[in-house]
Amino acid sequence: MKLLRKMTVTALTAVIAVSAAFAGGAAAAGSLKGKITVNGSTALLPLTLQAAKEFQKMNPKVKIAASGKGSVTGPQAVKKGIADIGACDWDASMDVPGFKAFDGQVANKVAVIPFATIVNKNVGVDNLTTEQLKGIYSGKISNWKEVGGADADIVVITRAFGSGTRVNYQAKALDGGDIVKKEKNYKETGSSGDMKTAVGTTPNAIGYIDLVYVSGDVKAVKFNGVAATTENVINGSYKIWAYGYYMTKGQPTGATKAFIEYVQSKKFQQGSLKKLKFIPISAMN
Amino acid sequence: MGTSVTPVQEPATLNGKGNGPAVNADPKRHGRHLLSNNLFTIYSTFSILALCLVLGLVILFIGKTALLLFGQISPADFFFSFNWTPEEDAFGAAAFIVNTLSLTALTLLIAVPVSVGMAVLCAEIAPRWMKTFIRPVLDLLVGIPSIVYGYLGLTVLLPFLRRISGESLGDGLLAAALVLAIMVLPTICRISDDAIVSVPRKYRDAAYALGSTRLQVIMRVVLPASSRGILSAVILGMTRAVGETMAVVMVIGNTPQLAKSLFAPTSVLTSNIVMQISNVEFDSTWNYALHMMAFLLLLISFVMILVIRILGRTRGKNA
Repeated sequence: MKLLRKMTVTALTAVIAVSAAFAGGAAAAGSLKGKITVNGSTALLPLTLQAAKEFQKMNPKVKIAASGKGSVTGPQAVKKGIADIGACDWDASMDVPGFKAFDGQVANKVAVIPFATIVNKNVGVDNLTTEQLKGIYSGKISNWKEVGGADADIVVITRAFGSGTRVNYQAKALDGGDIVKKEKNYKETGSSGDMKTAVGTTPNAIGYIDLVYVSGDVKAVKFNGVAATTENVINGSYKIWAYGYYMTKGQPTGATKAFIEYVQSKKFQQGSLKKLKFIPISAMN
Repeated sequence: MGTSVTPVQEPATLNGKGNGPAVNADPKRHGRHLLSNNLFTIYSTFSILALCLVLGLVILFIGKTALLLFGQISPADFFFSFNWTPEEDAFGAAAFIVNTLSLTALTLLIAVPVSVGMAVLCAEIAPRWMKTFIRPVLDLLVGIPSIVYGYLGLTVLLPFLRRISGESLGDGLLAAALVLAIMVLPTICRISDDAIVSVPRKYRDAAYALGSTRLQVIMRVVLPASSRGILSAVILGMTRAVGETMAVVMVIGNTPQLAKSLFAPTSVLTSNIVMQISNVEFDSTWNYALHMMAFLLLLISFVMILVIRILGRTRGKNA
């Protein structure tokens, strides 16, 4: 079923891309016209959808189709010519662990995504250092009492290899350290929602997630003594965050360029983007 | 269809005998008939061909991508190595194959006795009001999306398993098998039910006439007589269990390793595909390996359906 759906989506996006190419050729100077296809990260999808809605209101002749699957499908779709914009949680024009750089693609920063280390409500620990996290994820630390908690085995919950959240968490929170599979007390989840449920329902569990998802049965722990809040990301003291990118084949042109500029504009960044709990890119400069 | 056929014509065609004279009496009506019949034949043929084409394309597409794998690694590595570490170019799927088979076996071990028991209850023992209650409830259970079962497994079953086993995670083959057993139970139960109901009444009457108790009739007469039907019910349930993904992925732990205990987090073919397919590059060995795993699942299902077909044919001969 999954494959079938993937095939249909690919076929549909291909059709849209072809018609976009025709429409793009006919675009005249002046009023903006064309079709833009966005594919890739699910984390950035709400942002893309909101921006598309607003942009299409201002430019009724531009049609934007957006879908989300996984970060790496973004730059891949751009490479194959299926999509005009590939949303990705990392800068895909450079090498990251597990994924080679996509040559000839330009990374356009559109948002800041903060991530948080989360633990089950029953865990007494509320601060973890980089070294402690590295120990936990590499399997060297396997009991909460080694990091100042109760005497209980640590249950490690992580995202599957290749997840944008995992790539960023590994780079920022673990300082490039490994996430090692263990015989037991180790579990992989497929999405942010599953991660939250799994950590929330498993006593002694630790995991990581986009900051916006933190609520209810899970609590975010401090990282090197700094609380995971948007303020601390902006003032530079909280380090686990990453830019979200729109990847394009070469420099963007035409309607695509205008759309990316709209997402980067002060109006959108300070308005809808903030409301969706992302952080404006300008806040980081 | 509806516009060309007038209500008056229906009885004439349905009772059969009016067909010949009607042709002679009204050549215009005959022509209309011929036309609508031909149109319907063309439409049906077209539908069937389209379906075959789509199916063929699916098999071709998956198979083609899957076979590219063996240009990169040897089949022996794929089928017999237990080391699945795609990040380091190790693509051994043996653990998933073994886990898939053991998960299916464990599921059937839990589900078959319960569901066949329920089928016997439904068909032989329960009073009429209970039958009219149980059957629709079972049909309803089939309609619940599998991800809902998975979520319930994650939030209700896992904490329970953790409490009784003392494990700190609880994920593994047992959790997955329990969730799957609940999912395949209605399928096996309803089809077995039908098989038992279709056992001729005279068999039971004869057995009772010889002085059998109800238990003897059920165990010695009814169940053996409907065994082929029950077997195909089990195989249908098995195909569902083998291909099920969303519920399994939430409770199995998704650690690619051979399951050494019922509570060790592990992974099966379906869950591994769904966890990784969205995060791999299109033209990579990893992607081909996942396609090969999908192709394997397709083959397993195909073999099972073939078995049902063969069973169905021999049953037809016996009757």
